[in-house]
Amino acid sequence: MATRGSNRSRLLWVSLLVTSLFIITLDLRGVSLLSSLRSGTQSALAPVERLANNFFSPVGDFFSEVGNLGRSKAKIEKLEEENQELKSQVILNENTLAQLESLKGVLDLAGKARYKTVSARVISKGGTGTFSETIVLDIGSDSGVRRDMTVIAAGGLVGVVKSTTASSSIVLLMNDPSFRIGVRVAGKQDMGILLGQGDKSYSLQMLSATSAISVGDVLLARGSSGDKPFVPGVPVGRISYVENTVGQLTKEGRVNGFVDLNSLSVVSVVLSAVAGDPGDALVPKAPRPAPTVTVFVTPSPTPKE
Amino acid sequence: MEINRLPKVILIFLTLFLIQEALISQINFLVAGFSLYLAFFMAWVIQDQRNSAVVTGFIAGLILDLSPTLEAPFGLWTLVLTSMSYLLASNVRAALDAELSPLVMLSVTVLASSFALILFLLIGAILGQEVGSASYLTRSIAGNALWGALLSPLYIPLAMKLHKVTLTSRQR
Repeated sequence: MATRGSNRSRLLWVSLLVTSLFIITLDLRGVSLLSSLRSGTQSALAPVERLANNFFSPVGDFFSEVGNLGRSKAKIEKLEEENQELKSQVILNENTLAQLESLKGVLDLAGKARYKTVSARVISKGGTGTFSETIVLDIGSDSGVRRDMTVIAAGGLVGVVKSTTASSSIVLLMNDPSFRIGVRVAGKQDMGILLGQGDKSYSLQMLSATSAISVGDVLLARGSSGDKPFVPGVPVGRISYVENTVGQLTKEGRVNGFVDLNSLSVVSVVLSAVAGDPGDALVPKAPRPAPTVTVFVTPSPTPKE
Repeated sequence: MEINRLPKVILIFLTLFLIQEALISQINFLVAGFSLYLAFFMAWVIQDQRNSAVVTGFIAGLILDLSPTLEAPFGLWTLVLTSMSYLLASNVRAALDAELSPLVMLSVTVLASSFALILFLLIGAILGQEVGSASYLTRSIAGNALWGALLSPLYIPLAMKLHKVTLTSRQR
């Protein structure tokens, strides 16, 4: 038999459940108060995230590097200290060099396509355990970044700007399950849709069953009207598998992205595509195989005595 | 829940939310990620009375819904955590001994966190959210459970201590 106490808590539970459902309904109907609550949180969190990134970025590597140092002895303590200082300096330098390398790569890509870009540092990843793949950048609307702008890295497409505050912006990564982009096969006119799956590979659905696609083909962004959310011509990935099932309405396949989304440090937000569609100009060059030296040995007959 | 306990609970969960969003998300975990917030919440709620647990679930859910990187509609975590808190406080807690052993705490925390993630996915899918591939979901839930179990010696004692701090001397 239910007691009065348990009835009261059940009533409380039901009323709070109804309240949550009411909040969800308001959000789904686009009540701006709730979305501005989230952007307000983002504005408040950005400085803390920036600070945490400054601290964690070199220190995380530092601790993994010094983990193998020898036992502490009085004589070597001073040397160890010096060693640690030097190592932390080297790690800091490596960190800066890696960021510089990424920046150079992304500027090369943007320069080739004549995209007007603004570069940004990744200060945080999306909240874990929320099944959404996002990153937070250290620039926002003050630097000209707006919602639905394309984000690229040295290898190609990274994602699209989801929301901005004055000094930070959230980017929806291309491996997010809700991510969709229209693509075309480089060198051909076959078109399809690339879908994020949450992991490193992507699902590809071609628009026609007669599309001639094969493993190794490069996919480029098809572009959107007004270049939002996607500017045309950005390399997206390379086809790794083509499903050949008889009777399918469209051809399907798997794609490997060009950018490692787990190790992003510097990216660029495309503000505008100055020269329009760059065509296939951004297709990454296949690595040239190293020449092999082949030596043919012909046995010469031994002279008869 | 007594009204004078409410500000302490809100402050604790807000701090935890800040730690989760600004610090934990900077760490590259080996397998998927780890939601300290969710694990701490489960460890907290299992010690609570039914009414307090439900109110705490509602507040903790509202705070988690503030996450700017969240793709789900506002209120989804509120719904999930309110439901989980009632389930834990009324059904699970009643089946356990009065004194919770560390092993029981660990098991309840890990299982309840995984169940909350699955519930979040299910309700999200019903509301039209994209959920991703099966391998991605399995890796995310299993990774969270793994880290929840490995890091339990850190957050479970903290949750127990902080829970005690918020109680009045009469409630203790």
